Amino acid sequence: MIIELCDVWRRYSMGNEVINALAGVDLKVGYGEFLAILGPSGSGKTTMLNIIGGLDTASSGRVAVDGHDLSRAGDRILAAYRNKMVGFVFQNFNLQPSCSALENVALPLMFAGVSAGRRSRMAREGLQTVGMSQRARHLPNQLSSGERQRVAIARALVNEPRILLADEPTGNLDTRTSELVMELLISLVRERNITLLMVTHNPYMAEFAGRSIHMRDGQISRELTCASLI
Amino acid sequence: MRFVDLIRTACRNLARRRLRSFLTISGVVIAACLVTLLVSMGIGMRHFMSAQVEALMPSDVVLVVSSQGALQLGLAGLAFGENPQQVAEGTGSRYALNPIKSSHIEEIAALEFVDRVDPYIMFTTWSASRLDGPAVKAMARALPDYQVRARVLSAGSYISEDASGVCIIAGQLVESLGFASPQDALGEEIIIRVRQAVGMLGLPSNTEGVRFQITGVAEPNVQATEILIPQSDAALMARFWAGSDDMYTERMPPSILQVRVGDVAYMDQVTAQVKNMGLGAMGSNEVMGFVGTIFNVIEGLLGAFGLIALGVATLGIINTLVMSIHERTREIGVMKATGACRGTIRKLFTLEGALIGLTGGVFGVGIAYILGAGINELARLTFLSSFVGTQVSYMPWWLLVGVVITCTVVALVASLYPSLRAARMDPIEALRFE
Ligand SMILES: Nc1ncnc2c1ncn2[C@@H]1O[C@H](COP(=O)(O)OP(=O)(O)O)[C@@H](O)[C@H]1O
Ligand SMILES: [Mg+2]
Repeated sequence: MIIELCDVWRRYSMGNEVINALAGVDLKVGYGEFLAILGPSGSGKTTMLNIIGGLDTASSGRVAVDGHDLSRAGDRILAAYRNKMVGFVFQNFNLQPSCSALENVALPLMFAGVSAGRRSRMAREGLQTVGMSQRARHLPNQLSSGERQRVAIARALVNEPRILLADEPTGNLDTRTSELVMELLISLVRERNITLLMVTHNPYMAEFAGRSIHMRDGQISRELTCASLI
Repeated sequence: MRFVDLIRTACRNLARRRLRSFLTISGVVIAACLVTLLVSMGIGMRHFMSAQVEALMPSDVVLVVSSQGALQLGLAGLAFGENPQQVAEGTGSRYALNPIKSSHIEEIAALEFVDRVDPYIMFTTWSASRLDGPAVKAMARALPDYQVRARVLSAGSYISEDASGVCIIAGQLVESLGFASPQDALGEEIIIRVRQAVGMLGLPSNTEGVRFQITGVAEPNVQATEILIPQSDAALMARFWAGSDDMYTERMPPSILQVRVGDVAYMDQVTAQVKNMGLGAMGSNEVMGFVGTIFNVIEGLLGAFGLIALGVATLGIINTLVMSIHERTREIGVMKATGACRGTIRKLFTLEGALIGLTGGVFGVGIAYILGAGINELARLTFLSSFVGTQVSYMPWWLLVGVVITCTVVALVASLYPSLRAARMDPIEALRFE
């Protein structure tokens, strides 16, 4: 198992009230698996993804990725983990507004300490795989939404991560573009045997997944495998 | 993250907000310029004064007066020039100098390491003029040979202490006496008039004139009205001025002595011995120290004034960084999500602050350098025209480098807190920031 969550809780205290964003989540994800995460807004999907991605830490419970316990890791280890082990794709793209497409893709490489020359070569290759070579010098605000998400995908994959965490990646795209972006994402992930965790509201998108889980009130309420979906 | 990438990113971030960066850097530029200029002027003044005192007081002399208190006044006169007028109007008692007992003089002369003891004869002339030229106020002084020879001459030759009827005039007097050039003045005669200081109330006092031949002209120095005359002539004229034939005799010994110490290493010992006799004494090394102390204070105050400006600029840097960190909250979140650790974020913003300081420091110092050169040129053409080679603003390399380093370090320290805040930002909050 590449990802193992064991009775994971995430509590927020608002004054004297305690909110359980995650309330005892157990989850195992295998290598190269594609897991779709569904559920109503506020059910804890993003929180779970953030904890798996090392952006957030669980209040209690065990979070292990590739056998390493994330809850014990310090800032530097977590930063390196986010840099090399996982890639994030966000609903709102989160590209650096002042950086060109190429520079955005090269960002994780820069934090990894890769030299400028190698960085730009690797970023160019990354842009090519998402079909954005022609837009390398463009700034994010000179790109369409679909193009921005392609750049974001290239950025998430440039450091060859084992896990891709996509939080409603097509949430800001129209139907036609969504399909194209999904196709691209899935083909890239399959080709590289990357484990993909994707939050989506769209049951149609979930159909691409090998397995899907439904969340409610910080817990996994239902789990479906591909076979039962089809 | 590589260091070159940190620098490149910090530069880019500064370049992104051109106007804001420019304004913040301008604050540092003004502060750096101010500190550099003010301190350089302090140093310039110190050099000027030290050179003057050095030229007027050889390094092996101990000045002796009747009491330590009187010494301070005399010293101020030596370091900053004199106002001849006041003494001439009969208020000479202002210095409150009492004669030094003959026994003391003998005792000093007998001290080990003391080469010679001379009276310090000095009086204000009523006037000095050519036979048919304009009259000026001047300060007549009789100095022993070894001190006369410490003066730099621009023309002619030195006088001997036991000569008579010859003089060396200050460079500035050449023009006031109506000579075309120092060369022109050589061999010419001037009349030095002295008036009795102790005239009765309402009664006109007597005036006496003595002729002197100019044999030398000194390079201009702070003693702008000085005329050096031989000791015997000076003693005669001083007696007339004081209205007493006893002046500079056993009955009325001199009130200032110049004691020459054979070996400079024993200056302090001789000074202490003289002080033990209950007299006031100060060696030329102490005078230089005194001048040094004054300028330490002056430079300190000037520097502090500039540092206040730097403090204000620092607030500007903090403000700029806090603002830009706030604006870039989301970007910081993205940086963290893509693998930047706290240290990287902190370094990035600290470097941005340091770059503001460095750029501001370099430009500030550069502008100060140009302004300083301008001020020096202006001074050379105007009020310092007779002091060749003197600089109002003197900028040693360590001042320039020091100001740039100070600006950089201060800016770096100022950016520590904002960068720490940026580094500690919660990535999730940051990514959600609108
Ligand atoms: N910083 C926070 N402070 C308080 N409550 C929070 C915070 N972040 C998330 N929550 C709460 O946690 C729950 C889960 O949020 P989230 O994981 O974003 O849901 P989802 O992504 O499924 O819409 C929500 O009820 C939300 O209000
Ligand atoms: Mg969400």
